[in-house]
Amino acid sequence: MKALRTEFDVSELPTVTFGHRSLMWWGTLGFMVIEGWTIALLVASYFYLRQNYEAWPPLRTPYPRLLIPTINLAIMLVSFVPVYRAAVAAKRLDEAAVKRWLVASSVIALPILMLRWWELWAINTRWDTNAYGSAAWVIVGFHTSLLLLDIADTWGLTLFYFLKKMPLKAFSDTADNSFYWYFTVGIWIPIYLIVYVGPRVF
Amino acid sequence: MSAPRGQQPATVTLAGDDLARDSATLEALWRDCPGFWGWLTAVDHKSIGKRYIITAFLMFLAGGIEAALMRAQLARPENTLLGPDQYNQIFTTHGTTMMFLFAVPMMTAMGIYFVPLMVGARSIAFPRLNAFGYWTYLVGVVFLYVCLFANTGPDAGWFAYTPLSGPAYSPGHRVDVWAQLVTFTEIAALAAAVNVIVTTFKMRAPGMSLNRIPLFVWAQLVVAFMIVFAMPAVATGSTLMLAADRAVNTHWFNAAEGGDALLWQHIFWFFGHPEVYIIFLPALGFVTPIVETFSRRKVVGYTALVLANITTAFFAFGLWVHHMFATPIPELGQSLFTAASMLIAIPTGVQIFCWIATMWSGRLRLATPLLFVLGFIFTFVNGGITGVMLASVAFDKQAHDTFFVVAHLHYVLVGGAVMPLFGAFYYWFPKITGRLLGETLGKWHFWLFLIGVNVAFFPMHVLGLNGMPRRVYTYLAATGWGPLNLVASLGATTIALSVLLFVINAVWSWMGGAPAGADPWGSSGLEWAAASPAPSYNFLHIPVVTSRHPLWDPIAERPVVTGLSTTRREVLITTTFDARPDSLHQHPDASIWPLYLALCMGVTFIGSIFTPYLVLVGLALSLIGIAGWGWTGTRASGPERVATPRPVTEGL
Repeated sequence: MKALRTEFDVSELPTVTFGHRSLMWWGTLGFMVIEGWTIALLVASYFYLRQNYEAWPPLRTPYPRLLIPTINLAIMLVSFVPVYRAAVAAKRLDEAAVKRWLVASSVIALPILMLRWWELWAINTRWDTNAYGSAAWVIVGFHTSLLLLDIADTWGLTLFYFLKKMPLKAFSDTADNSFYWYFTVGIWIPIYLIVYVGPRVF
Repeated sequence: MSAPRGQQPATVTLAGDDLARDSATLEALWRDCPGFWGWLTAVDHKSIGKRYIITAFLMFLAGGIEAALMRAQLARPENTLLGPDQYNQIFTTHGTTMMFLFAVPMMTAMGIYFVPLMVGARSIAFPRLNAFGYWTYLVGVVFLYVCLFANTGPDAGWFAYTPLSGPAYSPGHRVDVWAQLVTFTEIAALAAAVNVIVTTFKMRAPGMSLNRIPLFVWAQLVVAFMIVFAMPAVATGSTLMLAADRAVNTHWFNAAEGGDALLWQHIFWFFGHPEVYIIFLPALGFVTPIVETFSRRKVVGYTALVLANITTAFFAFGLWVHHMFATPIPELGQSLFTAASMLIAIPTGVQIFCWIATMWSGRLRLATPLLFVLGFIFTFVNGGITGVMLASVAFDKQAHDTFFVVAHLHYVLVGGAVMPLFGAFYYWFPKITGRLLGETLGKWHFWLFLIGVNVAFFPMHVLGLNGMPRRVYTYLAATGWGPLNLVASLGATTIALSVLLFVINAVWSWMGGAPAGADPWGSSGLEWAAASPAPSYNFLHIPVVTSRHPLWDPIAERPVVTGLSTTRREVLITTTFDARPDSLHQHPDASIWPLYLALCMGVTFIGSIFTPYLVLVGLALSLIGIAGWGWTGTRASGPERVATPRPVTEGL
């Protein structure tokens, strides 16, 4: 026989939460910190190697091309709109709008991904030419892996919405997907400045 | 969501029949599937934690066998038991195993097993991610040892310095094995860290505000944050730099093309030094509850201990260059890192004094767990003192790469981590198995281990000061190093004997040791409120915490949470700071996708050693896994209630 006193009856607490009240949001934040920190370490290493050179990019190495990366950056910034609207719709539990904006996010991801291929070559120095090329390729390449993951997540979520009846908690997942997209695009801005614009400045 | 104001909260007295019925219902709901399939799909944090602990302990034995081989080789001059090539592989695999496959996984495994129990939760935050982490780790374990037996064991040392480990000086695949193994263990450690952080932040029992979190959990939390910031460094160094230099001809470390071999040392030790504390801080987390329980009083200086943990973690990221004093580091940098290396002794000292004060003012019960803690204090303080010596640049340059460093690091790691770990095994073994470990064998284990460690490692200080370099496979008799090496080898034999006694004790006790009951030691932590071994759902009623030592509270009626579902896996989410009930979260069922995805990681990273195309295959297979994981993760059973927005002023 044990005497227990009910201090809290939690049977009516919500089961769907958004933002910092949701476990998945914290998990997403954790992986954003890990990935962001990895990029920070790569960038620190890039500048560490910079000290080995008189000129940057090294002599006889061309500057990175700016056109494609700038176009892609612009598309990425525009992509904030559908991704943000999807999150807003998710918080309003508006399934039709969520579907609409997820499709828009999925569509805009396509040119971003395709342009990324040319964006890699816009570094204008191969990864095996010198340490400068290696560092630039690995930074952009690592970001590409994050981009791929995020786009796969967005496409998967969109597909699921059309393939089956999604539970209400999927709205929270949609908001978290947007949260991760903000990170993926947000962290690209300093990378763009460092890898593509930087060599003309430093 | 507290009981209505103005009314007396309901007091429930449960009869044995009610308890049995509720327990059976929850057991059916939460347990993993039976049989081999169930083993492959398990997500219970205790199943995964137990596997982690056993696998990591097997790795401790493997690393121990490698150590024994080295000590046998060095026992006399010009010995021929091992050749230089075998010796290189053995010492590299020993270090790699002990650091990456034993110490870090073991410490995170203890967190995976115990943090949910200690915070009063029914599960860990992300059970599938947790299972994925274990399987990824296991892929790494199998990979390393298959390669070692295939004569492709890594041979450039556990920190794989470039340019030795680069493509020019280490052709073949031995270093690739090391680089990818590190990737597997990093992924596993990061998965565990995120799990521990989110479990601690969001799943604590109501009432367990930040200032009531058990010190074990604080240590695990601090270490999880350290993992988040340290492990990406070695993953960056090994996978994105070293492996890339070797596989696709990048030039991170190739000086001829503007790379820099010293960059490797910076990146590696930016991880490597915090790594020592990632191993050591959880051990300090073991010490506090053991000291409290066997001193029969609350620990002295809870706040000081928490702050010391956090301070140590911060300092740990500011001393990596003391591993590099023999490289051209600017003088100002040397001074800064010397100061930081000495400074870190202060928070560690604070902790030691808190424990001594607790024991001094308590009523000691000298059971085996406490003996190991006493052994830890003695051995670790010795290691700490040589650490302060090595922090001095002038001394370090003399002792660098000698056996003095080997002595120091073994005193710190064996004394600072393995001894508390053995204490923790004796203390928490009953919670895991339901049975007590034998005390008599335990005491033999302790004394032999303490003597063995000191006999094995103390002479190494002298050998180092006499000029014996580390990582040599033999030496000439004329050096005069023979007698002390023989003593060290006899010490290693004693350690091996003591560990054998522990293994016998563990197997014997698990099969038929004395039943422990829920709380055999009269402890204060929540994990002891659950049965031993804890059921799959951990707690029949989520406890409500009213102090730092809930089981020592003299209360007649235990406050609990009611209302969690009995038809779906539901966990209670609480607010981050004050642990107020906030929402319910539906937990996932058992799943094969974590194992599948871990195997895909294996294809990706092991494949990358041979051809980049296998990376594409691995990633394509992973996409299927991610889709399967997501598909089964977006299911809900039962009614859903959406939260109304809460004002920001209510805090996290």
